[in-house]
This record gives sequence, structure tokens and C-alpha cells, in this order.
Amino acid sequence: MSKGKYGPALLGAALAAAGALAATGATAQEKHKIFLSMSFIGNDWQAEAANMLKAMAAHPSMANKVDLQVQVSGPNAQRQIQQINAMVQAGAKAIVVFPISPTALNAAVKNACDKGVHVFAYDAEITEPCAHNIAIDQEEAGRVTAEWLAKRLNGKGNIVAITGVPGTSVDTLRTKAAKEVFAKFPDIKIVNEAVGQWSQAVARTELSKILATRNWDQIDGLWMQVGCYTANTMQLEAGRSPEQLKPCAGEGSNGGRVQMLPANTEVEGANGTYKPIGAPRISYASPPYSGALALKLAVAKLEGKEVPKKVVLPLPVVTNETVKLCQEGTWEEMKAGCNAFKPSIVTNPGWFASIFSAETPEVGLSAALVGQPEQ
Amino acid sequence: MSTATIEMQRKSMPRSPGRVRLARHRGLIVAIVTFLICLGAVRALSGGTLGYYELSNLATGGATLAIAALGQTVVVLSGGFDLSAAAVISLVNVTLAGNMGDSTSSMLLWSVIGIGIGAAAGAFNGVFIALLRLQPIVVTLATMFILQGITLLVMDKPGGQVPAEFSQLFVGEALPGILPMPVVLLGLLLLAWLLLKNMMIGKAIYAVGSDRDAARAAGIDVRRSEFFVYVLAGGLYGLAGIFITAQTGSGDPLVGNPLLLQMFAAIVVGGTLLGGGRGGLVGTVFGAYVLMLVVNILLVLNVPAFYSSIVEGVILILAVLGASLTRSSVLATTLRNISRRASARRQGLLPAQLKLKEHRLRLPVPFVTVKQPTFWARHSETLQTAAPAFVCFALVLLATQFVLGSSMFSWPYYNSLIVLGSFLAILALGQGTVILTGGLDLSVPWTIGLCGILCAGLLKGSDVAMVYVIPITLAIGATVGLLNGIGIVALGMSPIVVTLAMNGILQGLALLYSGGTPAGFSSPSLRWFMTGNLFGATPVVFMMIAFVAGAVILLGRTAFGRRVYAIGNGVRAAELSGVPVRSTTVRVYVLSGLCSALVGCLLSGFSGQASLGMGDEFILPSIAVVVVGGALITGGRGSYIGMVGGVLLLTALQTLLAGTSLPYATRAIVYGVVVLCAVVTLREKNT
Repeated sequence: MSKGKYGPALLGAALAAAGALAATGATAQEKHKIFLSMSFIGNDWQAEAANMLKAMAAHPSMANKVDLQVQVSGPNAQRQIQQINAMVQAGAKAIVVFPISPTALNAAVKNACDKGVHVFAYDAEITEPCAHNIAIDQEEAGRVTAEWLAKRLNGKGNIVAITGVPGTSVDTLRTKAAKEVFAKFPDIKIVNEAVGQWSQAVARTELSKILATRNWDQIDGLWMQVGCYTANTMQLEAGRSPEQLKPCAGEGSNGGRVQMLPANTEVEGANGTYKPIGAPRISYASPPYSGALALKLAVAKLEGKEVPKKVVLPLPVVTNETVKLCQEGTWEEMKAGCNAFKPSIVTNPGWFASIFSAETPEVGLSAALVGQPEQ
Repeated sequence: MSTATIEMQRKSMPRSPGRVRLARHRGLIVAIVTFLICLGAVRALSGGTLGYYELSNLATGGATLAIAALGQTVVVLSGGFDLSAAAVISLVNVTLAGNMGDSTSSMLLWSVIGIGIGAAAGAFNGVFIALLRLQPIVVTLATMFILQGITLLVMDKPGGQVPAEFSQLFVGEALPGILPMPVVLLGLLLLAWLLLKNMMIGKAIYAVGSDRDAARAAGIDVRRSEFFVYVLAGGLYGLAGIFITAQTGSGDPLVGNPLLLQMFAAIVVGGTLLGGGRGGLVGTVFGAYVLMLVVNILLVLNVPAFYSSIVEGVILILAVLGASLTRSSVLATTLRNISRRASARRQGLLPAQLKLKEHRLRLPVPFVTVKQPTFWARHSETLQTAAPAFVCFALVLLATQFVLGSSMFSWPYYNSLIVLGSFLAILALGQGTVILTGGLDLSVPWTIGLCGILCAGLLKGSDVAMVYVIPITLAIGATVGLLNGIGIVALGMSPIVVTLAMNGILQGLALLYSGGTPAGFSSPSLRWFMTGNLFGATPVVFMMIAFVAGAVILLGRTAFGRRVYAIGNGVRAAELSGVPVRSTTVRVYVLSGLCSALVGCLLSGFSGQASLGMGDEFILPSIAVVVVGGALITGGRGSYIGMVGGVLLLTALQTLLAGTSLPYATRAIVYGVVVLCAVVTLREKNT
């Protein structure tokens, strides 16, 4: 390994890591040893983010620079702390992490930084100052969607709010920002609020409970962190026509995006309610490419480039005016503005469609689906 | 709890004192050996970089789990169960992170408060469990909900900070370069335990855990001992909360939750028997560190992400099997019996091969006209245990009518209630039957998840495919249950261990099958079945009526049902009465697997598609409805009708809470309080 590539500030780190590498036998001489510490792999978002990250590592521009090892800690901060410590011990140059908690990992991250390991958190934040954070502004997400809904309802009506996982920063920030917006409109009333756990299945159960004592005519709009696709499906099942659908501010799942397309759009593979119906929507997301970008930045940092400590990703927002169907889903095509995918290609409507970033031409649709980088 | 206990009791005939001592500490010895093997494996595989610094890190990393598991072990030794442990840790964590100041006195004050919160939560549990004689599992479940709500009221998102000196006090060095602080802390706790163990109260804990009635007969104040156990355990959870605060330097309202299942795994790996009376705290500490070392082993072996839960499940099973590998263990007995049977078959000596003449004793049957007992006499126990759930359900209905205005006289309300409750009602049959035999099925979440994913993935939106997909899915659920049952019966392991490990393995399989993103749809008719309309009701409502009737007959009127109750009332007695204990136990788990698979399919029909983790939210409710419905968690008592009452109560309560605009934290507290009230009315008056 050539230490010349590193800036003087990193020399100490490189030396420390060199010792560790020599001890482990230094199989990958030229490659940077980078670990990914995922928390939970039991949902669509995590799987997609991991696919994109792996695709980034496999891209020709990266493949000879990166030796990526993926580990899962489960939804347990204690184990992620242990995992980060073990990664440092195993000679990591950089650790890309989806943090289970923004605060609980601080001591472990600080320790990693002290040993010259760069830590990059994606999607959720780590409050320890030495960590790099790549995420959207959650308050902006709550605010923008609430403003859209308030405008759409002309400042008047009954709203049902389905939130995320209680006790997390992301959920608290989004919900608080949205409520601040709604508070400005005295005629907007949140009549029901339920915990949706960021899951379409839970959103359905919670909405069913709400509808046991209320019917759709008593609801004017929905603000959901995840669940607009399900809410639209339920309205259609209840015998309402697509024109009667309530405006819904919510997540960026592909099912929801396809439903936003004008009803006469031809799409391959449409099935059940996973079809264009012109649903009135604003769709936003925490984009799953953030992990891939984190890896790219980590490699740049290891190559001695300047990398900002905090990267605030642009909030991907799609409305009925801007929704556009992709034919193939290549990065070039998405750059030209498409943001929804055919059901024949993306069979899972809960799959997250906000995969485009100007910063990551290495990864497109096939990266998110199967972990294959762009050619 | 299972046949294992019986086998062990039967075989523990007098032996030399040395061997007896060895046998008594087998669990502990195996835990220490497992720990050393894991540590050695990490050291060898990672190229020998395991110095003081790494060991110190390891000591810190596992300490929270170890301390909390110590508390849980005391409860388990006394024959109890504490689900509120993890919630106490979170509450103490956010309280300290939100309030502690920089001064030494503030640190001291809040540390005392931290332990005090734990002890107070323990005392709360203790009042209901020890004094009012309620079932530990449901009391602590209710406490868990209440504490989670309070935690969110204290701090709604991660934040806060404690001074660095406070952290150093717990995670720093006792003797720089030689002894890390967490090791000293754990050492002191174990020392205190060894002192306590040899005092009256320590012996009382073991005695109560081994046999309550015998303990009482021997003059032990059972209530006081139990109360003390929960307070002591609560204090230890509080200490774990203090430690995690020091370790992370900040607060997070969700930090404790995932530790709950790990605590039980640590206890079991540490050689303590779930069910009480056997084991100790030293083993638990090693058990906890084994679980943390698994993280390092997965890393040095570079196990692919999707396989990690499978590997963990296998490690858990191997560690527990290792502790029970003796000539007298169930596994060894099973193997011996198989080989004997095979050799008998070769020699043609099996009873079936001998063509024996039938010799049966024919006793003169006296013609005594037995007076048919009255309906009340036959069913009074069932009605008494099932009634509280229905009474509370009626109260919730009234409250719903009062608060939301439209429930009691509206069919759509009842329709949604039945549809939403159908999943739990089906699970209650499986989980309930398992609980009636004295077991517990923790593999429910990922049996649902895997089967749901398979169901949607194979259907791909086709109605025709339902003809073979649903039988295949159910067969897979049954196979999962069969493997659980075989693991419990043939390997003689505790149901909790087998099903917990199975759950991890199934999670890995679901991830491998779906590649992380489940594809496919349920078919139009399956969707219609769960969400459509037939004669003014959702079609599944008709199925549920038939299901409930079938389940009542299965448990109440068939030989299978009677055997289940017999096993729950006493394995040994059932065995001696000619109940085929082993095959019935296996069938019970097959039934549970089938129920979970059915729920997986119905859920995918309800949602239109399957998602990973869709079964996770069902595990605790599936246990809660069974217990709220009047069943005893130790087995033998309960009825399916009562469980249905439990389902209706909890579903109606959630519907009521969803209809209000109460914040989530308050809802959690209300939910916990109502569950507690429901079981208080269940209280047995005669003890």
C-alpha cells in the first residue's frame, strides 16, 4: 500500500491501519478496506439502499479501489456499537453506517475517528461531530408535504395523520414540522393520528381501525409518512372512484408514483390498484441512494480529497405535475426527469422510487433492484 | 416446563459428590467453555489482534446486556418472567440523559434516581404478581407498555447528554491497562449475589422457583420473596440503564427495546432453566458475552448479511445443546431409543412383528347411571376465566360509543373488528394451544413473514395458482412447526430456545428467498376475501365464524384437546395416564405453524402484497390475547372462547385509541392500564 496517496493529516491513521492490515495478512493490498454496518435488513428501503451501495462498490471506477464487507447488526444499538468496534479492530479504513440511533453510537464513532477510521452515516444522522452525515432535511420533508396538503385543501378540512416509528428523530422532526404548518390553518383539523411504523402493512391496519368508527366522507386529506398507496387502494376497495380520491401527502414508493400518473397512461404490468389512476399526491422520500453516495464520499476522503462533514441531500419531491414514467430506468433517463417505474420491471409497489441523484451516475435502476452498477 | 425436566429428575439418582457437583454446574461450565471458544475463535480468525484495548471494549459492549440479564435471571430463578426489563432501561436512559448535570452531586443523585426508577417499576410488578397473584407475563407486559409511554413523554426523540466524567466512571479503567471498570462492576454484582444466595432470601428464591407450594409448606414467605425478586431485578435493570447512559453518553427512547429477547437468550446460554429453580447468575454473564461475541465472529468470518440471523440461530441451539449433552440428556436418550428400536426390528422383536395374541383385561362394567352434571358445573371454570375479557370488551364498546359516537349499533364497526381481529384469533389458536401445554412459540413472526412472502411471491396475482400455493404455504408452516416440535421433544430443549432460534433461521430464509425485496401479489380473490363484500360482510367474517366453532370443538371436544390440557397440567401425570406426550407436543407446534402460515397468507391478501417483517407486530399480542383470555401461561387452564374474548377486547381497545387524537405515548399507557385491569378481574380469589 502506498502511503503517498494520503494527506499528512491522515498519515497517522494510515500507519495505525497499516499495522492492523499487516496483522490480518493484507490480502487486498491496493484496496481500501471499507465496512458497511447496516442495522435492520427486514424492509424494502434497507434492502434497496444496500443493493445500491453494493452496486457502487462493484462499479468499474470503484471495484479496484474498494474492498467492501457488509455486516448487519439488527435493530440493536448495543450490537452496532460492538460491530463498529470490531470493524475498527479488523482494520477498517472507513465505515459506512446506517445508524440505529443518532446518539447511542457516539462513543464508538468517536473511538473509530480517534483511530483514524472515517465514519460515514447515511439516511439517519450521528450527532458525534467527527462523523460524516448524508441525509435529507427531515423537517423540510414534513414542512413541504404539509404545505402542499394545506394548499390543496384550501386551508380547510379534516386530516388523518399516519406517523412513523415513535421515538426516532426522523419521525419526531417530520411530524413536528408538519404540525407546525397545519397549526397555521385554523380550519385544518387533525382528526386522527396513528403510528404507521413506516410500513404499508401497518398503515393499512391503522387506517382500518380509524375507518371502523369513521368513513371516508368525514376525511378530507391524508398526511402519511408511509401509506398513501395503501390509502388509495382502500378507497378504491370501498367503492370510491379515482376522481373521489382524497389528496395524500406521503412516501415515494413506486406504487404511489404509478398511481399518480394520469389514468389513461399505458404501463406494462399494471395489476390491481398498482396502476395509473391520477391520484392527487405529493410524493417525497428519504432517498435510498444515500448509502451509495456515502461510499463514494468515503473513497474520495481516503484518496485525500476534501469531503464536507454534512451533506444535506436535495429533498426528492414529485407531484402530479412532475411525475413521469421511465422506460428503462437508466441513470441518463432519470437525469432527463423520469421518476416512476413500470410495474412490469418493479413488481413490488412498496419499492422506493427516489433513486436518482446527479451525484451518483454509477447507479441506476438495476443497481437498486439487483445490485448491478450502470455500464 | 417440558419433558426435559422430567428426564433430568428421573436420572438424577445418587452419584459420587464430585460428579453431582459437576453435574449441578454443567450449565455454567458449558457457558464458560462456549465463551472461551468464541473468544479463541475471534482471536485466531482475526490474526491475534486481541489485546487489552479490545478486551476492554468487549467488556463495555456486553455489560448492559449482562447487568440486565442478571436481573432477569433472578426473576427466572424464582419461576417468573419479566417483559418490562427493556422498557425500564430505556426510561432510565432518557431520564438520566435529560436531567443529569455536570456536578458530582447531580451525577450521584441521578444515579440513585435511576436505580430507584427500576426498583419502583419492580415494586409495581411485585404488587400485582406477588401480592395479587397475577401472572407475571401479562403484568410485566402491561408495565412494559406503560413504561414505554412514559419514556416517550420524557423524551420524544434521541438527545440529551451526560458529562464525560460520568461515562468514565463506568466505562473507564479501574486499574489502567489491567482491569476495565465494567469487569469490576460485574464482579461486584456477582459477589453480592453469591453472598445473597447463601442467605435465607437467596435460598428462598430457588425454593420458590423449584416448587411454590413446597416452599410455602416449608415455611417460606413466598409473597415477600417474590416481591423482593422483582424489586431487586428492577434495581438491576435501572443499573443497566445507568450503564447504557454512561456507555453512549446520551439518551434514546428506543435503546432498550431490542435487549429483551437477548436477555432470555443470554440466560439460556448461561445454563439457567426457564421455568425456575435451576441455574445461576454467573453463567448469565458469560451467556451475555457469548451473544455479543457472535457479532465479532460474524464479522471475522465475513458471513453474508442475509445469513447472519441463520448463523445466530444455529449458534444459540448449539450452545444450549452443548449444555445438555450427557448420557442422561433427552437427545442421548432419544438416540439410544432409536438404535434399540432399530436393533429390535432387525431381530424381529418389535411387538408389532411378534404377532402376539391380544390379551386385555376385561373388567365387568357396572351399570351405574351417572347423573349428567349441570351445564354450570361442567363449564363454570371456562366461563369464569373467559368472562373478564368479555366484560372488559363490553366496557370498551360502551366507551367507544361514548367517545366516538358510532360503534355499538353499527355493523361496519363489528365487521372491521372481526376482520382486524381475525389474524390474532387464528394465531391465538396456535399460540394458545402451545401455551396450554406449557410452551411458548416465538417463531410466529417470521413464520408469518416467510409464509406471507411465499404466498404472494408464488401467486403473482393469479387466482388459479391459489389451488396449489395455499396448500404449499400451509405445508411449509406445518413443517416449521414439525421442526420446532422435534427440536423440543427429541433434543429436549426449552420451547423458547428452539422457537427463538427457528425465528432467526426463518428470517434468514425469507431474506434469501426474496433477495431483500419481496415481489408478487396476492390474487384478486384472496384480496376480495379479506377486503371485499359478501351479503354485507367481508367474506373472511364467515370463515372466522367457522374457524372459532372448529377451534372450540378441537380444544374442548376431541381427544387431542384433552391431551393438550393433560400435558399442561403435568407432563409426568399425562405420560403415566397413557397420553402420547411426545407426538401430541409435536402436533401442537405443527398446529401453531399452520395457524401462522394461514395468517401470513391472509395478511398478504389484506395488504395486497407481502412485506418483510410483517409478522413482527404479532408476537406479543398473540401471547397477550391468550393470557388476557384467561389462560395460564404455565399451561393446563384456559379456553379458546376466552382467547377470542381477549382478541375482541384488545382489538376494540386499539380501535378506540386509534379513533381518539391522544398522542402515542398516552395511548401506550392507557393500553397497558386496561390490560392490567383486565387481568386484575381475572384474579383467583382462593389463593
